[in-house]
Amino acid sequence: MPRGESSDGARRMINIVALSKTFGSGATAFTALTDINITIRENEFFTLLGPSGCGKTTLLRSIAGFVDPSSGSLTIHGDDILSKPPYARPVNTVFQNYALFPHMTVAENIGFGLEMLDRPKSEIRSVVGEMLELVQMTEMADRMTSQISGGQQQRVALARALAPKPEVLLLDEPLSALDFKLRKEMQIELKRLQSETGITFVFVTHDQEEALTMSDRIAVMNKGRILQVGGPKDIYDHPAERFVADFIGDTNFVTAEIQSLEGDTALVRLPSGRQIAARSAPDGAVSGPVTIAVRPEHATLEAQGALLDGLLKNIVYFGTDTHYHVMTQDGSTFVIRRQNQPDAAEDHKVGEQVGISFNPGVAQVLRD
Amino acid sequence: MTKPRAFDVRRQSGFAFVALCCFVLLYLPIILLVVFSFNAGQSIAIWEGFSWRWYVSAWQNEKVQDATVLSLIIATCASLVATSVAVMAALATTRTGTFRGSALVFGMINQPLMIPEIVTAVALLIFFAMVKVATGYTGLWYLIIAHSAFCIPFAYMPIRARLQGMDLSLEQAAADLYGTPWRVFRMVTLPQLWPGVLAGAMLAFVISLDNVIITEFAKSAGQDTLPTYMLGQLRRVVTPEINAISTVLLAISVALVVAFYLLSKSKKQ
Amino acid sequence: MPNGVRTARRRWLLLTPALVILLFAATGPLLIVLVYSFLTPGDYGGVVWTFSTDAWFNVVVERDFFDDTLSFADAHLSIFWRSVKLSLVTTLVAFIVGFPTAYFIATRPRETRDMWMLLIMVPFWTNLLIRTFAVMEIIRNEGVINTGLIQLGIIDAPIQMLFTEFAVTLGMVYVYLPLMVLPIYASMERMDFSLIEAGYDLYASRWRILRKVIFPLVKPGVVAGSILVFVPALGAYVTPRVLGGGKQLMLGNLIELQFGQGRNWPLGAALSISLLAIVMVALFVYVRSAGTQEGRHD
Repeated sequence: MPRGESSDGARRMINIVALSKTFGSGATAFTALTDINITIRENEFFTLLGPSGCGKTTLLRSIAGFVDPSSGSLTIHGDDILSKPPYARPVNTVFQNYALFPHMTVAENIGFGLEMLDRPKSEIRSVVGEMLELVQMTEMADRMTSQISGGQQQRVALARALAPKPEVLLLDEPLSALDFKLRKEMQIELKRLQSETGITFVFVTHDQEEALTMSDRIAVMNKGRILQVGGPKDIYDHPAERFVADFIGDTNFVTAEIQSLEGDTALVRLPSGRQIAARSAPDGAVSGPVTIAVRPEHATLEAQGALLDGLLKNIVYFGTDTHYHVMTQDGSTFVIRRQNQPDAAEDHKVGEQVGISFNPGVAQVLRD
Repeated sequence: MTKPRAFDVRRQSGFAFVALCCFVLLYLPIILLVVFSFNAGQSIAIWEGFSWRWYVSAWQNEKVQDATVLSLIIATCASLVATSVAVMAALATTRTGTFRGSALVFGMINQPLMIPEIVTAVALLIFFAMVKVATGYTGLWYLIIAHSAFCIPFAYMPIRARLQGMDLSLEQAAADLYGTPWRVFRMVTLPQLWPGVLAGAMLAFVISLDNVIITEFAKSAGQDTLPTYMLGQLRRVVTPEINAISTVLLAISVALVVAFYLLSKSKKQ
Repeated sequence: MPNGVRTARRRWLLLTPALVILLFAATGPLLIVLVYSFLTPGDYGGVVWTFSTDAWFNVVVERDFFDDTLSFADAHLSIFWRSVKLSLVTTLVAFIVGFPTAYFIATRPRETRDMWMLLIMVPFWTNLLIRTFAVMEIIRNEGVINTGLIQLGIIDAPIQMLFTEFAVTLGMVYVYLPLMVLPIYASMERMDFSLIEAGYDLYASRWRILRKVIFPLVKPGVVAGSILVFVPALGAYVTPRVLGGGKQLMLGNLIELQFGQGRNWPLGAALSISLLAIVMVALFVYVRSAGTQEGRHD
């Protein structure tokens, strides 16, 4: 990690405390953000992940200055920026539709921010050249923005936002307009740019895979609230809430009952009567009925008499893996994913009684 | 045997004929008006050969000269005033939700479109009579202000339409890149808005140039524009000189309206 | 919220110039007309600043000069009636001509539709007086129609068309027709023509398609067009003056007459407000029907 900072002691870049935003008033009021508290660290690739309408874009636009929060505070390096207009904030945005100025060339677009900052012409020229090189667009410098492809527009938008060397780069679903292959390329490209420039990235997306592959940390949002903040692996392996478990990857939900709790390990009793150790979310239930989540690839298909028993209802072949749909005793469906081996014959038949097993600690007790 | 025509779901019998009649009805009077402006004789119905004589006589008519100059002065001033204030009004009222007083503002801006012109005309007659008595000023500014007022909605409409079609994120991007509001307006908003501003100005110019009723009531003695001059002339024996003046005015209007149309199209490219 | 306050202040600052001009030359004078309608007429035009409701009575009744008996102001009422009648006829004729025209344009290939609409709109944006004058030249006694018919030997003496209700109606249809075509065309262009195919598929005839499918779909456009034609027709001034020649007066001309030397300004003001009231009712109906239509789409 650059600048010799430990993960806990990393310098705070953005500090958001008790931020709320309500649009409109009275009966038509709509609360877009409720009590948001986040700290974003320096040089971090931080992702706001959630379905459309969850408030992630509103939060990003609050940082940029296009949304005026109803209450709370927002500081960058300790400076309160909420009272500042967008043009006085040390952040730049890559817009979802790129928002390139159609009446300017690629180079003029990239140089716009520096021009607004009244930098000398020679400096603007050299920075623009640098940026064009960084995003590999040097030959396109004098094209109008309408004459370049979507992927190239994306690069120009990035270069334009990076040119003034902002403290924070805000990216509002910047890859959503690109086709699949280009999106994959740009994901790697973005990651490279972030580590090369050392700028803090705040990235908004609804694509869980994008979030998992690119981020240092992810904040999962729903209905204007932040549900969980953590590293990709942490979020995937140990979702704290049903929504997080469901939104990121596929999950099986099993009802269970907490028998005992020690630290973050809970002993839970499954419907079959068998007991197993599971991870418990902080501030979760300490006793009584709960829901546990088990990832399909963390469970295995066994002979009857395992942790859970059921009827094999369906086998779905997916190429890289096969999904087994098992109806358990309580009538719910449990999916098991198994990696396919070359030329391995299918050893199970629809209609047979099977058992489901998973290791201690892979199940996650959910907060709700 | 002829092959039966394919069934066209869009056809309605007789509609094309009515439409044709409609276009003839719309254009025949105008075409005849223009044709007889070139008549060598006095008649507006019997063709006696081609001649420029009525254009020459209109050109040499001092009253027509004066009225033309006045028309152009008023239309130029009014369209400039109306367009500038309409740009500001459009910036204030577009891309925001309803605000306190928005109904009143829209009502006032659109008032010249809703209220019968004769009512506004007599209202201005009364009001300007009061002001003239109070101040003693009887100059051209009454007409310029009156024209500016009814030109505002016409200038406002295309500018507002253009603004609404504009991507808000462009200006946000400019603000994000440290552009102060005035610089954002000058470097991003205005270049994008320009076709709308030009279209609004042209429409306002045409509307001012063509106005009869309000001018007739709001003018002081001796302030004749081309339309009020023509209205006065219609009571007398009509010669093709009126046709000649009309043809020139028509040509100006048609040219500006077609240009306006092309400009409004340009936003869709 | 400092940003919110800043936005509001900026908004009103930007609006001020437009509102000042409109207040001075549109809204303000209108309020003065309202005040004038409650004053007493001056002897040589103008007003005397004493309160009176006479002007409003005079809109509908007149006081006999000699014996003070009251009777209906026949002259005013007949002009009111003519204004409404001619405006309705104008609206109807404009619909009969405009509906098929709008349909014709809406069924042209996409690339040429704009060109057809431009053909409709160009006359509208040209000088109203000139267009009225063009109609006058055609129908006057020494105009093209009469001259042509006489030369062909069909008639001996010119048919008097100018200065009749026919002339005024023809002129208003001619002048306001584009206002009917425009909104009907706008609704038709949005119409989904596969609905017509569905109608034919379900055994409808062309006439029934028109009545049961097309017309209901474009009805908002028809209502809009009718009001857009009716409102200016009701307040028409130039067309009845030029083509009615002082014989076929409409409300606009009646109002003007009150403002000459030695005339009754308060009565003119009261008549203006009456005309305004009718127009406002029509516009209100229009806004409401447009509102319910939008509501249904949601």
